[in-house]
Amino acid sequence: MLETEELTKVFKSKAAVDGVSLYLDKGESVGLLGPNGAGKSTTISMISTLSKPTTGDVRLDGRSVVKDPGKMRKVLGVVPQEIALYEDLSAYENLQFFGRIYGLSGSRLEQAIQQALELVGLKERQKEIVKTYSGGMQRRINIAAAMMHEPELIIMDEPTVGIDPQSRSHILEMVRQLNKEKGLTVLYTSHYMEEVERLCDRVYIMDHGTIIASGTKDELKSILSGEETIWIELDRPYPELFAELAAHPEIVQAAETEKGIKLIIPKGKRILGSIFQSAERHQAQILNVNVQTPTLEDVFLHLTGRKLRD
Amino acid sequence: MWAFLKKDILVLLRDRTELAVLLLMPFILIVILGFSLRGLLMGDTEALNMQVALVQHDDEQAGIEQFTGELEAAAVPDQAAEQLEAAAGQVSPSSLLQSVLSSPELEEMLDVMELDEEAARQALQNEEVTAILTIPEDFTLLALRNMLLGEGPGSELELTVADTTSTRANVFQDILTDFTRSLNFETAVARAAAAEGGAISAESPAVQLGGVETVSAREPVNSFQYYTLGMAVMFVLFVSSTIAGKANVERQQHVFNRILLTNRHPFVYLSGKVLSSALISFCQLFVLFLFSTIVLQAFEWNSLEFWLGMAGISAVLAVCVGALAALLTSLTMRFNSDAIVTVFAGGIVTILAFLGGSFIPVSEMPGFLQAFGDWTPNGASMTAYLSWIQERDMTRVMDPLSRVGGTAVVLIAGSLLLFPTRGGD
Repeated sequence: MLETEELTKVFKSKAAVDGVSLYLDKGESVGLLGPNGAGKSTTISMISTLSKPTTGDVRLDGRSVVKDPGKMRKVLGVVPQEIALYEDLSAYENLQFFGRIYGLSGSRLEQAIQQALELVGLKERQKEIVKTYSGGMQRRINIAAAMMHEPELIIMDEPTVGIDPQSRSHILEMVRQLNKEKGLTVLYTSHYMEEVERLCDRVYIMDHGTIIASGTKDELKSILSGEETIWIELDRPYPELFAELAAHPEIVQAAETEKGIKLIIPKGKRILGSIFQSAERHQAQILNVNVQTPTLEDVFLHLTGRKLRD
Repeated sequence: MWAFLKKDILVLLRDRTELAVLLLMPFILIVILGFSLRGLLMGDTEALNMQVALVQHDDEQAGIEQFTGELEAAAVPDQAAEQLEAAAGQVSPSSLLQSVLSSPELEEMLDVMELDEEAARQALQNEEVTAILTIPEDFTLLALRNMLLGEGPGSELELTVADTTSTRANVFQDILTDFTRSLNFETAVARAAAAEGGAISAESPAVQLGGVETVSAREPVNSFQYYTLGMAVMFVLFVSSTIAGKANVERQQHVFNRILLTNRHPFVYLSGKVLSSALISFCQLFVLFLFSTIVLQAFEWNSLEFWLGMAGISAVLAVCVGALAALLTSLTMRFNSDAIVTVFAGGIVTILAFLGGSFIPVSEMPGFLQAFGDWTPNGASMTAYLSWIQERDMTRVMDPLSRVGGTAVVLIAGSLLLFPTRGGD
């Protein structure tokens, strides 16, 4: 349905996006994963025709949308990272406005408004002014506004940033429904690994403006099939212990987390003993040790040497 | 387009701060300027109401008779002597002066009482009168000799005021200066006519001599009328910056990107800006004029013709403000910055208002500034409003109004050329 060919965007001689090629089949849910500043939003901006690529092309059903943005705009719904709404208008007035400029009117418009409100669960509060809503409710209306013209493809740019867990869960369930039950093609960007793991069939991992890995979740995790992850929960940070473990020849990767240290080691290596010895030397109190199979977060850490939220 | 119009109006109506700037601020300024500068404009007759003492030492009839006698004694041909005798009765300066002072134009402003010299001096001391006008002995004779025969030094009126800095005294002095200037002008015309053999006929413009030149045929404008128009044409410009400012918020909050994604032609978006700005401007002008009419009695309320004219001028100005809003919006979107709107609202409006005569009448400015002012939309509109109020002649309004309309067309064309069709790159 959609593919990009070597998309590049250069700002003041610096490439924000550098040769990104990706594709989405109809009805697929694809994740675009990467830390802040990886180039996800710029890529989305080019795909959604808001920004012209410096080089490369975006094709919808084989036709260039760089040359003919209108074709893409007809079938595309975009949920931007920002709350792109009139905050002094009510949810109803916002949806009415966007529905009208999409060419809806009369009973069709009213039906679209009510469907969108029902989808995001804000039918009861449709007459309230947007700025009086909580962050989560604003994000839900932000999604509803993108759904007014019943798009075939929806691009969601970090739609759950800065909201409460309840609203986040609601949004994730809504996206899942749109994709699985209504057959909507979804391109979902996030730096929350668990969201992408939950929603997406395939994942592209971006860093420094390029795609550094892609595939299904299992394919990506298989990158680390010969490795496993050890979580060590500590009572407080121990920088010297971390430094010693990071320099350990058997440990592939080490990262400090909020509660302790995360290590990636070759599968089957018996190094727990030496880890405990190091902890004892630094008088570190170990609260918990957990050995896991790799997650996408681990894959990202493996590929880039840093965590998604760095 | 209607969706954009409705949305822009709703957004503005819910922004109380902007509404206060657009409506309350001009109200306050109209009241402050109208009261504080009351009296500086010709139409404020009630504020300049003054008592003047007239001390008459001249015997007009005796002066005319003596002048006629001198003509008979002199070697003036009979036909010329007859014409000069007739003219003496018509252009007698004493009568002309009294007819000026009691003219309809001045009767609301001047209250002239004839007193003897002592009583007049006393009245001036007691501030019962603003000035004493003394008509000296043989004023008529000496003036006629000078005017009709070109002989002698003429005569002078004597003006005594208690306070030379008083506005009233200055205005009265101006009236007398205008009178003498008119008299001198008519004398020169009469002499030229006499030299050509036509002399002064009964249809000579002596009757018009009684008019004070600067009053002319125009209705005077008072300070409330002037500053209502001045503030209205100034503050209407803020509508354009307000609407462009809202467009900038649309850009910052990425609502504009969302609008672009609906694939609407830029013309539709800009048309919405033009329409909403024009409608808001028209309403703002209407509310200001209505306020001035009801609260300050600045305009007559019962003349349909007057209000239709005001509505016509306001409609053209409102469209021009809409076009200005479209241009500011295009510039904001193209350069991804609200600096242009800030500079416009923070400085350019004030400059345009000054040049357009919102603070002081353009007639007080140097010629080149007047020329600039005539080409500003607010200045040209101000001229159109003043012409309409004073003359009620649409043909006089068309010239400045066509400049406002022309400016609107240029601004709309510019805004369409500059408007971006993609989001910020």
